Amino acid sequence: MKTNSLGYKVRQYLLFAGVTTFLFVAVVIVPFFYGLYLTFTRYDGVSTSKPFVGLDNYIAAFGDTDYWVSLGRTFVFSAIAVVLVNLFAFVLAYMVTTGIRGQNFFRAGFFIPNLIGGIVLGYVWKFVFNKALVQLSDMIGSGHAKSLLATPTGAMAALIIVSVWQYAGYMMLIYVAGFMSVSEDVIEAAKIDGCTGTQSIIHISIPLMTASFVQCLFLTITRCFMVYDVNFSLTGGDPYGDSVLAAMHVYNTAFQDKKFGLGQAEALILFVVCAIVGGLQVYVGKKAEVQA
Amino acid sequence: MDQNRKAAIAKKVRHGLMILALLILFVIVVFPFVLVLINAFKVKADITGDPLRLIGKHGFTLANFGAAMEKMNFWTVFGNSLMITSCATILTIFFSSMTAHLIVRNNWKANKILFVLMVASMVIPFQVLMIPLVSLYGGIFGVLNHRITLILMHVGFSVSMATFMFHGAINTNVPISLEEAATIDGCTKWQTFWQIGFPILKPTIATVAIIDAMAFWNDYLLPSLVLGRKEIYTIPIATKVFYGTYSTDTGLIMAALLLAMLPILLLYLFLQRYIVEGITAGAVK
Amino acid sequence: MNSKTEIQTQFEEMAKAYTEKTGVEVEVYNADTDTTVASQVATRYASNDPYTITMVDAKDIYALADEYAYDLSNEDWASHTKLGITVNGKLAGFPFCVEARGLIYNAEAIEKITGEEFKPENYATLDAFKGLLDQLKAGGMEQPTAILSEYWSLGAHYFAEVYEQQKDPDAFVNGLLGGTEDLDNNAKFNELMDTFDVLKEYNYMKGSAANADREESSMKLAAGDVAFMFGGNWDWSVIKEYDHSDKMGIMPVPENTSDSTNTTLVGGGTKYLFVDASDNTSDEQRKAALDFLNWLVSDADGNAFLTESCALVPAFDQVTADALDPLSTSVKEYADAGLIATYDFLPDDHMTVVGQEIMQKYLDDAMSRAEMAAAVEEYFKSATPIKH
Repeated sequence: MKTNSLGYKVRQYLLFAGVTTFLFVAVVIVPFFYGLYLTFTRYDGVSTSKPFVGLDNYIAAFGDTDYWVSLGRTFVFSAIAVVLVNLFAFVLAYMVTTGIRGQNFFRAGFFIPNLIGGIVLGYVWKFVFNKALVQLSDMIGSGHAKSLLATPTGAMAALIIVSVWQYAGYMMLIYVAGFMSVSEDVIEAAKIDGCTGTQSIIHISIPLMTASFVQCLFLTITRCFMVYDVNFSLTGGDPYGDSVLAAMHVYNTAFQDKKFGLGQAEALILFVVCAIVGGLQVYVGKKAEVQA
Repeated sequence: MDQNRKAAIAKKVRHGLMILALLILFVIVVFPFVLVLINAFKVKADITGDPLRLIGKHGFTLANFGAAMEKMNFWTVFGNSLMITSCATILTIFFSSMTAHLIVRNNWKANKILFVLMVASMVIPFQVLMIPLVSLYGGIFGVLNHRITLILMHVGFSVSMATFMFHGAINTNVPISLEEAATIDGCTKWQTFWQIGFPILKPTIATVAIIDAMAFWNDYLLPSLVLGRKEIYTIPIATKVFYGTYSTDTGLIMAALLLAMLPILLLYLFLQRYIVEGITAGAVK
Repeated sequence: MNSKTEIQTQFEEMAKAYTEKTGVEVEVYNADTDTTVASQVATRYASNDPYTITMVDAKDIYALADEYAYDLSNEDWASHTKLGITVNGKLAGFPFCVEARGLIYNAEAIEKITGEEFKPENYATLDAFKGLLDQLKAGGMEQPTAILSEYWSLGAHYFAEVYEQQKDPDAFVNGLLGGTEDLDNNAKFNELMDTFDVLKEYNYMKGSAANADREESSMKLAAGDVAFMFGGNWDWSVIKEYDHSDKMGIMPVPENTSDSTNTTLVGGGTKYLFVDASDNTSDEQRKAALDFLNWLVSDADGNAFLTESCALVPAFDQVTADALDPLSTSVKEYADAGLIATYDFLPDDHMTVVGQEIMQKYLDDAMSRAEMAAAVEEYFKSATPIKH
């Protein structure tokens, strides 16, 4: 059998990856480039004409201060959310791998928030913040309590809380996997050498779990940068439009303000930023992994 | 001896504290769900008026469920969701596991390009693709409004992540020697993969299955673009009826949410013991 | 497609009955709420699969009519309404209903405290209105007003009246766009904001006003915990879900003013139906669509659907409406005397910028009036005008 001939390779490729490649190219790659083309046109999303305008949309995007403000907000939001998600996830993962009673129950339980998605989740939490928590604090304290969603900082905090709630369970499972991949022998050896529990986590487990960290950080960073659903249904930009994150701004520009080309251009900038941050993080992580 | 007992007690205390902490966190995590559960059985006036009360002033009611099921045409959309989710999930697993196998086992340029593109595509916000997608497949090819289109699009969007996960799993968990042995015995690559590689991947399959099934089951944006006919609606689109800009039918939302969640919860409970293993395999690259 | 989501159920029941009677299949699609109606229409057109009849806001008609709407000027009903929208010589929009906004009041709650019959016309000036609020407060209703915090209510409804109550709204908006209007010294702006300040002062959500919940505000109004809420007759669909008084109504926003704007409601045709003119709709479908519009206006069942099951104020002079809800009844009374027209040509992002970024801040006392005037002027300088 000639396994080196081009014909063989092509046949194998088509057999194993033909359909995948076709679907992937058809729904992701082609629309992506078509979308790229749309950024050079003025298109309101409705009209049949798409006049070519060159770089106008990009110039407009760079001049759109609201966009850059929302992008800045996204950076702050992502930075805090990513740290908290991973912190919680890591601590939870540690606790449910110590062999305590009911650890399988907890592993399953913390994953539950992942079972409902997107828009609905935001509505449920809005209800929690505006109704349940306000009522709860009215019962405990005196006077009418303010909902967290009433102030810009509070609304951002609420977005972060919901993100932590939503993703910590998922990331926890990846860290659980990481803990389980660190072999018992190494930990035992460390203990014999006089390491305490904490020391062995810091000096042994964490370095050996770099792969888990890279994966979790990549997932949380990209998700946080692209968050839309929860932003829309939880705060909707209220109050004062001070909780609009980048993806929501893009969406509003394209569909509410009917500036499709501009929205698409801003979306591409978001994509580039996201890819750079995600890529950088993976690169640094991989390097650390090699050193460890 | 004494030392050992002390250590054992310390361990017990530590474990007790951890269980306590986990329980508190668990209560916080499920709090929103409990709230949904309570309020699904109340009339709207009681939900707005007194959301924390177990049973509202107007009494316990099942009316939300009946009304929600009727308004969203529950059994039809449930069937659609079930069919679309299961077909798309199975196809995703089928195609992406094969692709991952090809990529791991053959160091070809085409494979590398495909893999890099796939990983890069994971950071494309869906909003970037949505109008082009509709203009192309609706405007030019006219293939929207078919369940099969949605299934194939779901597969197209999810193969990158799935291939990525299988890639990791095949790398670490499927010993190449086993496959080589099979090849010597006269198996083709195709047979080798399905008889040797695929069965070993069970945990990853379970993980991909639950993650994708959840995503497909809950997805709103893509189906809303593709499915423009009532008879092919999925649950999230049908539920949309209950949120108006000018009116929100809170009771029905809660009821619909519970109805929509149950099947995926069952699937999760059924698959959950594999999931940790599955993510382990994917994590270590 | 129906974009008036609160009447979705009625629409569906009507569709069933209509199909039984005429044999014409009618399917009703509900508009989404997380995307704008225009974007949904856009995706339908982008995919060459438009709805035969689409319900949109007045402004969308101007944007869509040229390319997509069928000319309705030869229809029988055309002469029975003044509210149809004509674009480039073709009658494109069928006015589905008349809606108007103002202050919704709960007369029962007010009378319980004052002990005398509540006559809204006695409180047309801000001074008289404020007197009443103080009286209510003294009588035990601590915070007698509610203000919705949604940006569409603040921007597209309340602030919009600043333009609509001008003598020539178009000239005024063009002046803002051209940067020549001085908003801070504009009489109407100040009169309306003086009233807004009073509403703010007595707002039950004072302190976290920008987070008022629409359901809760409506519930409080229905129950008489508050006496006034700025809104429109569409709010009845929310109010009626709660334990409510039927002695409610709607009155013009009180103002200390010399013109008649404090005795007239602002409103007009809202929600327009247009029929698709493109090749994607067959002649047969189009014929059925036209028949349906006629049925709404000239058939007794059609009328009943509009005025009774949907409880809408009809835009046609030959349609009678006796079974309206309390709010629509007041709207009809004011409408018969003439309404101040709504201004439909505000830029697309006006609602979010002025409603959310500016008015919410003002509502929360996070912005002074001078700052607000400056911010609105600043916004108009870079806004994209709507051609009309």
